[in-house]
Amino acid sequence: MTELKLPPDMAELRPVLGEIIAQKQKEAPHFTILLSSKQGLRITIDNREERVVEGAPSAGTVLSAFDGQTIYERAIGGFRRDEIQKTANELVREANFSDYTSPEESPRKGGFATVMQIDPAELSAQEKLDRCRELHRRVKGRDPRIVNTQVIYIESGEYSVFASPHADLAQRLQRLNLFLVIIVAGENGQIQYDYKSKSGGAGWEVLDFTDEEIQQLIDNAIALLGAERIEPGEYQIIAAPGVSGTICHESFGHGVETDMFLKQRARAAYFIDRTVGSSLVNIVDDPSTAGGYGSYFFDDEGRMSTPTQIVENGIFKRGITDLYSATALSIPRSANGRRQDYSRKAYARMSNTYFEAGTSTLNEMLAQVDQGVYLDKWSSGMEDPQGWGIQVTCHYGHEIKGGRVTDRIFAPIGISGYVPDVLQSITAVGKEWWLEAGNCGKGHKETVPVSSGGPHLLLKARLG
Amino acid sequence: MLDQIVNSLKERKDLAGWTVRHIITRGAQVYAVPQQVEARRTVTGERYRIDVLRQTSGLDGNAAMGSGDATILPGGDISTSIEKAVLVASLVSNPVHTLPGPASIPDVQLIDTDLQSDSATVTMDAMDRIRTAASKNPDVGLTAAECFGETHTTHLVNSRGMDAEQEATEINIEFVLHSQRGETEVETFREMSARRVADLNIEDEISKRGRHTLDLFEATTAPSWQGPVVLRDDVLATFITSGILQTLGSAGSKYAKISPWEIGKSVFRSEVKGEPLTVWANRCIPFGTNSSRFDEEGVPAQRLPLVRENELVNFWASQRYADYLDFPATGAFGGVEIAPGTSPATALLAEPHAEIIQFSWFNPDTITGDFATEIRLGYLIQDGKRIPFRGGQLVGNYLDALANAHWSAETGFFGNYLGPHTIRLNDIKIAGLAG
Repeated sequence: MTELKLPPDMAELRPVLGEIIAQKQKEAPHFTILLSSKQGLRITIDNREERVVEGAPSAGTVLSAFDGQTIYERAIGGFRRDEIQKTANELVREANFSDYTSPEESPRKGGFATVMQIDPAELSAQEKLDRCRELHRRVKGRDPRIVNTQVIYIESGEYSVFASPHADLAQRLQRLNLFLVIIVAGENGQIQYDYKSKSGGAGWEVLDFTDEEIQQLIDNAIALLGAERIEPGEYQIIAAPGVSGTICHESFGHGVETDMFLKQRARAAYFIDRTVGSSLVNIVDDPSTAGGYGSYFFDDEGRMSTPTQIVENGIFKRGITDLYSATALSIPRSANGRRQDYSRKAYARMSNTYFEAGTSTLNEMLAQVDQGVYLDKWSSGMEDPQGWGIQVTCHYGHEIKGGRVTDRIFAPIGISGYVPDVLQSITAVGKEWWLEAGNCGKGHKETVPVSSGGPHLLLKARLG
Repeated sequence: MLDQIVNSLKERKDLAGWTVRHIITRGAQVYAVPQQVEARRTVTGERYRIDVLRQTSGLDGNAAMGSGDATILPGGDISTSIEKAVLVASLVSNPVHTLPGPASIPDVQLIDTDLQSDSATVTMDAMDRIRTAASKNPDVGLTAAECFGETHTTHLVNSRGMDAEQEATEINIEFVLHSQRGETEVETFREMSARRVADLNIEDEISKRGRHTLDLFEATTAPSWQGPVVLRDDVLATFITSGILQTLGSAGSKYAKISPWEIGKSVFRSEVKGEPLTVWANRCIPFGTNSSRFDEEGVPAQRLPLVRENELVNFWASQRYADYLDFPATGAFGGVEIAPGTSPATALLAEPHAEIIQFSWFNPDTITGDFATEIRLGYLIQDGKRIPFRGGQLVGNYLDALANAHWSAETGFFGNYLGPHTIRLNDIKIAGLAG
């Protein structure tokens, strides 16, 4: 079990927060304080250069008071007691908060830390650099068409303390991501690349690449030099777990963030307890997933993490909430109130969002496809909760012919379609299941770490 | 505290160079949902960012350079942070590079004085304007809006004697317009950024987006289309500034062998059938959202000729990559400026053509230039009719598209893009959902 060791300035402040809250509780019954510190490290190695750079850090305090209509917040850099006290005094004078009392909450107290076998905090920068160099070295000399190999290690650490009249919580979250990028050049100067990442809310133990994975990456990058653009049209497709996850994330992830319900931006609001996909479809958001890149013990509004069953056997059950939308809509809260950092407000956000596994093997699914496309790798996606349009872009996909994946490769491939049509078209769900790390925005901002995933899915969609 | 940090760095004899940036941010945010304000926030932040260079040696024993960095919050431990940055710098051995020296810093306009003096009032005023403008169209409702107003102050000092300050303001707004007829609901989401509120044209934008929102009721599924596609104003700015010019025109990409571009050669991989392309990487655009007086290293702003009549004339280069490749250091890219075309915009709107009004997210591969991006709203203009459509994807390659394009003679300013406000991509594909 990894020990929670708060940074000294946060540890010093934590016992004081209860006092400040107690002072203000008469004027503002719903008064909370969040201390948030984020820091990181990025190591980049390529054939010509090495860099070790601090991840953009942020550290600050958020004081929140809610009058039942509007949340008033003061976000201040750092963790200075005198400034927090002064700001708390100012904040409670900003409006009349005394008439609003939030619903009864059970008391909660504790300190938590991401479980790790190899804690990056226990490794020196030199050791991390050496591990990255070793991965880089393993690619050398494998193919003359490789013009560069990049190893990118991203370490993100987060400490937070949440205090309210009911809560005294602290957590340390650790997220790691190791990318291997192979860049190749064709005879005409054409450049192509492929990449793979290992990641998790975990320690270095999850970052190993096998030789087979490295070789596959090189083979894919070289194959991409001969990639074709796909003829637009509707295809029978098999989505790899990462692609399944992105479809899930963009459709019944963003589409069920209940702040979007409040803003009349989500069509899903009208579909509670209604069929939205084939009976094989089960979708979950679970911030308590062990090792998930989007995992946490409590959210930025002090809610303890538990899973939310979003879609069950094709029927939409409930969305994921932040405090404000749950209050305004009078619906049960889930632990999904998340902030990019102390300088931003909390919204309803995903954590680890995925299709649950089914019963089919990949070979069984392939056998059902005479002519289609295997979508190997996603590169981006965008939500459309109101229009229920899907945009997922795949880095590449392979032709499926006669139940077999061929060497014919298409890149890039855009998936589009209407969410219920796409989910309704799912006719097989795979056994293999995994999550892939990503960064999720609300629109084009408010980035938070998440993971998305699932099993292989057999479905129909428009590709272009 | 800045003086203390500088003095501590000056005392270090093991450094080949250092830079300190004192960065202060202050701002206000307001968020609205239907009928009420959801949240009001004020935000402050202050930090000191230290970058150090230290001489190391390469595997061959030749002189090399390592770099390290650290961030200190007010009251933080200066010596520990510097030590951490120096330690990291000792770990890596890159080709020798330097820091920018003192230079004349241009006076680029970056400040909205009202926003600078009272961001809370300015953001609330902007929110009021959004709500008032939206209320003028009874067929459309405002269901969400956000306004962020910020001031960023940076004081940069480096070991070569550079000592410069800059202040910049920024306002970011987004809004959602919604309408409903029976069970059919439609919406338009729009986000805008500017250095000053006056550049946002809130009322015009809401009026225009209101019309687009209502047109969505009439929108057909996207047709399959191969032919001219027109992009105008903000959607053209989105297309142009999507990262390909920045990636392929970068000395860093050249050094990493990601960019195949070469100085003196065409940036296009295919025959140029349209008008020649001339591009500047311009950090001096007045009130440009990517403009600055100096960049993170301290390199002064400039208007850099990047592409002249299809040929690459310069890579944009940070001091590091400029030293590596023996290029001039130009500093960060800034905004994109494109030379006006020869055609009046009206001539580019000749029938038939499709026009894209809004993408879901124009997110091309910045190395290959390939894209396949969903269309939120477009119009097919032919036979005297302007028929709205939605869905489907614009499919193509950024460079191939620009190699066969005509630009308007009329120009506009769109925050991070200055140039022709209309482009006609002469032959591009829409992967439709119908036909």
